[in-house]
Amino acid sequence: MTADTLQPQRDPALEPEIKDPIILRVEALSLWYGEKKALKEISLKIPEKQITAFIGPSGCGKSTLLRCINRLNDLIDGVRVEGDIVFNGASIFDPRIEINALRKRIGMVFQKSNPFPKSIYENVAYGPRIQGIKRKRDLDEIVEKSLKGAALWDEVKDRLDESALGMSGGQQQRLCIARAIAVEPEVILFDEPCSALDPIATARIEELMQDLKSQYTQVIVTHNMQQASRVSDLTAFLYLGELIEYGPTERIFINPMKKQTEDYITGRFG
Amino acid sequence: MSAEATARPHTTPWRRLAADRIARWVVSAGGLAIIVSILGILVFILVEVAPLLTAARVTVDRKIPLAGAAPGALLSDEHRTHVAALGAEGRVRVIRLSDGQTVATRDLLAEPAELVDLQVPPESSALAASTRDGRVVIAPVTFQITFDAQNRVVSPEISEPVVLEVDPLGRPLQSFAAQIDEEGSATTAAALADGTITVVRRSVTHNEMTGETGEETVRTSAPVSYRVTHLALDADQKNLYGGTAGGEILWWHLEEGQIGPVQAASAGTAPITALALLIGGRSLVVGQGNGTLSVWMPVSKAEDADAASGDERLTRIRDFPPQSGAIRLISPSPRRKGFLALSDRELGLYHSTSHRTLWTGPSPLPGARALGTSPKDDGAFLAGHGTLASLALRNPHPETTWRTLFGKVWYEGYDHADHVWQSTGGSDDFEPKLSLTPLLFGTLKGTLYSLILAIPLGVFGAMYVSQFMHPGYKRYVKPLVEIMASLPSVVLGFLAGLWLAPRIEHAVPSLLLALFVLPVLVLLTGAAWNRLPRTFRGRFPAGTEAFLFVVVLALGIWLCFSLRQPFEHLAFAGDFRSWLLHAVGLSYDQRNALVVGLAMGFAVIPIIFAIAEDAFTNVPQNLVAGSLALGADRWQTVTRVVLPTASPGIFSAVMVGFGRAVGETMIVLMATGNTPIMDWNPFNGFRTLSANIAVEIPEAPHGDTLYRTLFLAALLLFVLTFLVNTVAELVRQRLRERYSQL
Repeated sequence: MTADTLQPQRDPALEPEIKDPIILRVEALSLWYGEKKALKEISLKIPEKQITAFIGPSGCGKSTLLRCINRLNDLIDGVRVEGDIVFNGASIFDPRIEINALRKRIGMVFQKSNPFPKSIYENVAYGPRIQGIKRKRDLDEIVEKSLKGAALWDEVKDRLDESALGMSGGQQQRLCIARAIAVEPEVILFDEPCSALDPIATARIEELMQDLKSQYTQVIVTHNMQQASRVSDLTAFLYLGELIEYGPTERIFINPMKKQTEDYITGRFG
Repeated sequence: MSAEATARPHTTPWRRLAADRIARWVVSAGGLAIIVSILGILVFILVEVAPLLTAARVTVDRKIPLAGAAPGALLSDEHRTHVAALGAEGRVRVIRLSDGQTVATRDLLAEPAELVDLQVPPESSALAASTRDGRVVIAPVTFQITFDAQNRVVSPEISEPVVLEVDPLGRPLQSFAAQIDEEGSATTAAALADGTITVVRRSVTHNEMTGETGEETVRTSAPVSYRVTHLALDADQKNLYGGTAGGEILWWHLEEGQIGPVQAASAGTAPITALALLIGGRSLVVGQGNGTLSVWMPVSKAEDADAASGDERLTRIRDFPPQSGAIRLISPSPRRKGFLALSDRELGLYHSTSHRTLWTGPSPLPGARALGTSPKDDGAFLAGHGTLASLALRNPHPETTWRTLFGKVWYEGYDHADHVWQSTGGSDDFEPKLSLTPLLFGTLKGTLYSLILAIPLGVFGAMYVSQFMHPGYKRYVKPLVEIMASLPSVVLGFLAGLWLAPRIEHAVPSLLLALFVLPVLVLLTGAAWNRLPRTFRGRFPAGTEAFLFVVVLALGIWLCFSLRQPFEHLAFAGDFRSWLLHAVGLSYDQRNALVVGLAMGFAVIPIIFAIAEDAFTNVPQNLVAGSLALGADRWQTVTRVVLPTASPGIFSAVMVGFGRAVGETMIVLMATGNTPIMDWNPFNGFRTLSANIAVEIPEAPHGDTLYRTLFLAALLLFVLTFLVNTVAELVRQRLRERYSQL
């Protein structure tokens, strides 16, 4: 089953032309929480090494969609999925797939920073240790590289052994990014990463996302439309579990094709 | 809008204010009441324990001038109203203490005679003396108490004295000791001028049928190469001790009128100047010319305590601080293992078991020649230089010191110092052994064995339920565990003691087998389940695989029980208990630590489980998600993130479980056998502090040392659980602070 068979005629509001190679393809994805249908036949293609933003009012299903990509929704009782997500040509719902290996390849940064109650070093080294890296020298190298990648190295290099819980909120969130890139994923999912941060910390995260673009495909869920317009290349607007519009960010914000999109981005509801 | 309507939003209705205030008062009052009642309990316990620490006091009640010759032996009645004094001229005078009047007199001998050595035989109510012409006179004195209307009337009665001819040649005795029993059978032992020890025994036989009374006198002699200056004879008239001018202590057995071989021990070069037996006749107090005071006991040489008395050696057990001059007189307490010792200028009050010098001070009557203790051990009498001094002894708990409570003490009849709890014995002269160490040991042993079972089951059970179990089943587990917690411990104790213990006795090999078989079986099942094709496994609803393990475990247990006999035959030569005794050297009690571990573990598991489950569940879900998002599997997430994060809570759970196990009473009372022994052997019983209180408090006389020691045990328990709970609470506070940052 492909998206083409389901939607014979191509809707320009939903299927923008994408030149870059596609890394993730969501195909007619529906999701139920018990009886409640939270996602309704969503199909979209996410290009490699770009930033894709999911926007929409609260409860529209954007976080649910994001959590489907690394199958974190599996943890919730009573979730049922139909449709498919194809990652690098393979379905992530294939029973033969190792779910832990999938999650290693698709990293995630959460809304509320969630450093482990361990030292800064141990937080970053956690993923590599899980992957079986034991040598101190290798771990040191990965920790330094990841902290540098998350633009945190200069701030914490002298206190790697201190508890991560003593850091500021913005630093904690960048530590979570460092922790995510330490396992060298291909995709990083951001679930409203700046919603608990002040504007300066937010700016640093956004800057960091631009720096990471050269290496990683990034998907961000955000409430903040300015943020979506600032950081993303593509934007998907979801409303009540349905994909309303998907396209290049600039076009969505300047020239939305659907009335609901326009109403939302101009602040008439949301 | 009226003025009233606009004013309303700014004032709170008085009803709400009043309700608010009342609620605050009620809550504060409730909280305060709890604090006050706990403090009240603590204060009550302290008040009951505190007298254990009071120092002894000796005060002079009154001094009475005496007529006649200076008395050499003193006896008093129970209430310290009258004193019978024996003077050297052979006259017993009974003196009323309230006014110093002599209320009765009796001459012991018909003819005037001079008495040379006067004494009170140990544990008797008699006066004894030797005469210059080699005889021994023993006169029982009784104080009859009658009540005339409201007044107590004490009527002293001096019985017909028993006169024993000891030296046929009529020479003065060098020293003597005498004993008389209630029937009038009397024994005297004396060192004669011809260098022999002579024992004269007069037995009185009373024929119930004819009403005739027969008398028989037996005399035996044995040569002795020592110059015996002091002798002491025990109440059973079986053991004779002697002291010499050269500092030797001698010991003879008297069997059927025969004098056994002498055993000598040296107490140094200073001459023995006083010799006395403490009640029970097992401890000999020796006073010497240089003021040394020591306690000696016959101690079995062999390891075996039941060895014949012939294997015993007189051993110096303990020394008291010496007095400044030669010890003149020693008066043992008629109630306890204590004694008074008098030198020319000093008087001291001592207790043997606790090795305490309770009181020392200048002698109230320097140069006194007679010393006696009242029957209730609450007073003493000194006589000399025409004066009788009555002393009051305030000495409620001489038995207790830190050493007797927690240290090793060398008790009578033991061949080494040890920790022993044995509060009562068959006789009044029993030496109470109140060491709390075996009880503390028992408490910790019971706690340890129950926690060995409860910690892994409680913590891993909580881990499984909170982290791995299918949520659909999770909600049935907690109420079930709560039912487990609500079982009264008396039911558990009853089941453990009467139902479980006899079954375990036969099933020990099965249990040992299960220790190996069940884990292996579970691991194999787990591995096999994971090897099954996914399509097959998919047919079972999620979470039901747990029931597979229930079946496997049941099968495993059945297997272990049905394999008991072959296993016991193979591994333990057919009989586990005899194998345990002969191959390992451990004995097996039916009610033992294993049974208690199971029963108390059952009581502790729900507590540990409930707190640990909360700790696991309280680990923020986003930490779990964060770990999973990094590619960790469930097991890695639980062991590397959830467990460390929940560890303070788990610690707290263990501490609360520990506190519960320490304080648990009914289960240990009913399932341990209550033997206060110190042995880690899991197949032996023990006695805990709490069970000990329950067992002994009904029998402890109010205000007695045992009674107060039991309160001390309660205080110890209180402090122990208080400390454990405080540590647990502090850790929980820290845990909360830690979570507030997450």
